[in-house]
Amino acid sequence: MSDEFDRPEHDRFPSGSSGKTYGLMCTVDADAPAVEAKPEKSVQSWPAAFIRELLLFIVVVLVLSLIALYFDAPLEEPANALHPPNPAKAPWYFLGLQEMVGYDAFWGGIGIPGILAGLAMLAPYLERKKGGEGVWFHSSRILPNLIFITLFVTLGVLTVIGTLFRGQNWAFIVPW
Amino acid sequence: MSVDKVKLPADADAGKGGLIGTLKAMPKRVYHSVFRFRPLPKTHMERSQAVAANFFLHIHSAKTTERALKFRTTLGLGLISLYLFIILVVSGVFLMFYYVPSPDAAYDRMLDLRGAVFFGTFLRNLHRWSAHAMVAVVFAHMVRVFLTGAHKAPREFNWVVGTALALMTLLLSFTGYLLPWDQLAYWAIVVGTAIAGYAPVIGEDLRFILLGDYTVGGEALLRFYVLHVVVLPTVLTLGIGLHFWRIRKDGGLARPDTDEE
Repeated sequence: MSDEFDRPEHDRFPSGSSGKTYGLMCTVDADAPAVEAKPEKSVQSWPAAFIRELLLFIVVVLVLSLIALYFDAPLEEPANALHPPNPAKAPWYFLGLQEMVGYDAFWGGIGIPGILAGLAMLAPYLERKKGGEGVWFHSSRILPNLIFITLFVTLGVLTVIGTLFRGQNWAFIVPW
Repeated sequence: MSVDKVKLPADADAGKGGLIGTLKAMPKRVYHSVFRFRPLPKTHMERSQAVAANFFLHIHSAKTTERALKFRTTLGLGLISLYLFIILVVSGVFLMFYYVPSPDAAYDRMLDLRGAVFFGTFLRNLHRWSAHAMVAVVFAHMVRVFLTGAHKAPREFNWVVGTALALMTLLLSFTGYLLPWDQLAYWAIVVGTAIAGYAPVIGEDLRFILLGDYTVGGEALLRFYVLHVVVLPTVLTLGIGLHFWRIRKDGGLARPDTDEE
């Protein structure tokens, strides 16, 4: 079928009844978006981007398939409302909250998580200073990064404590 | 462009050869009606057009900066989140063929998956591990975006969309957690929904709406099932579309103004 494609573009896709293949351009008195911008090094998305995306997809499917082949999902006894396990634990991503609930029900379960979610949503509006876009650990953003990492690590540590270091009656245990 | 004026490539031979000619021309005509370009475009022009003319590819621009393609720029975390979601949708639909959202049947269906369904154990494992992985990767993606300052103007709103997608990922995982109806599932949801009950004033009502009852039972299982297989995946899919579209509209991946790195 290559013969079809080798015909000139305008022949394959006539642009209208007149067969006109040109357009009318004009100049306007305005700022051009490209003024003083440096040319960016770019490549054709086909194939450079697509081949990478396809490869990553294959890797993700392979890795998850291997995990699914060798590790079985847990299945315990049928649900029984009369026999609560001790301790009963939420899914792992909520164990940071459950750990905080152990100290204070409202602040641990609602107050602090609500404030954190609100802070996360508003982060780009709170951090107005320009600079450092697209750069890892940019020197002008040390404070925001430090705050973010501190909050994230704290939540992570609480999650690990809730997951591994809590036993019967939510008492602190050592898992080894 | 008026439709009747558009000539198909095969039009040169149109009408020649009668029935045999029509049949001979058919494969080409069908191909050209679906794809406007040869399978492996060669020139820059063709490659750009191949991206723009394909429904699935046109979410990309025709050209990509070399910077955006470097692994260290994004660590691929957003794409991995999408791929995990795709794996979850496909494996989830297969699981739906075997699942019944009723306290009397759900657990037996889990045993069937393990004992009677071809590849049943693999399906359930794949779905569960992908779900855990998606929660972890989505949050890793969030960390990456913040630490590279990619949430700042003009990408503020896409960050807000992203945080909403992250919360929805948690809800999807949480609603799915109940479905096996074993002790692990049941008590995790009892504990998790108890947290919702700690909210002042509306807490108890919120919990009742979520569970459809005062305790975790058949109503809760049905609600979690509908949320898990219809409502949340639909909203998440739309949100992902918006998230990707905004990347393009906000000028592609975040990058510095100058050459500083």
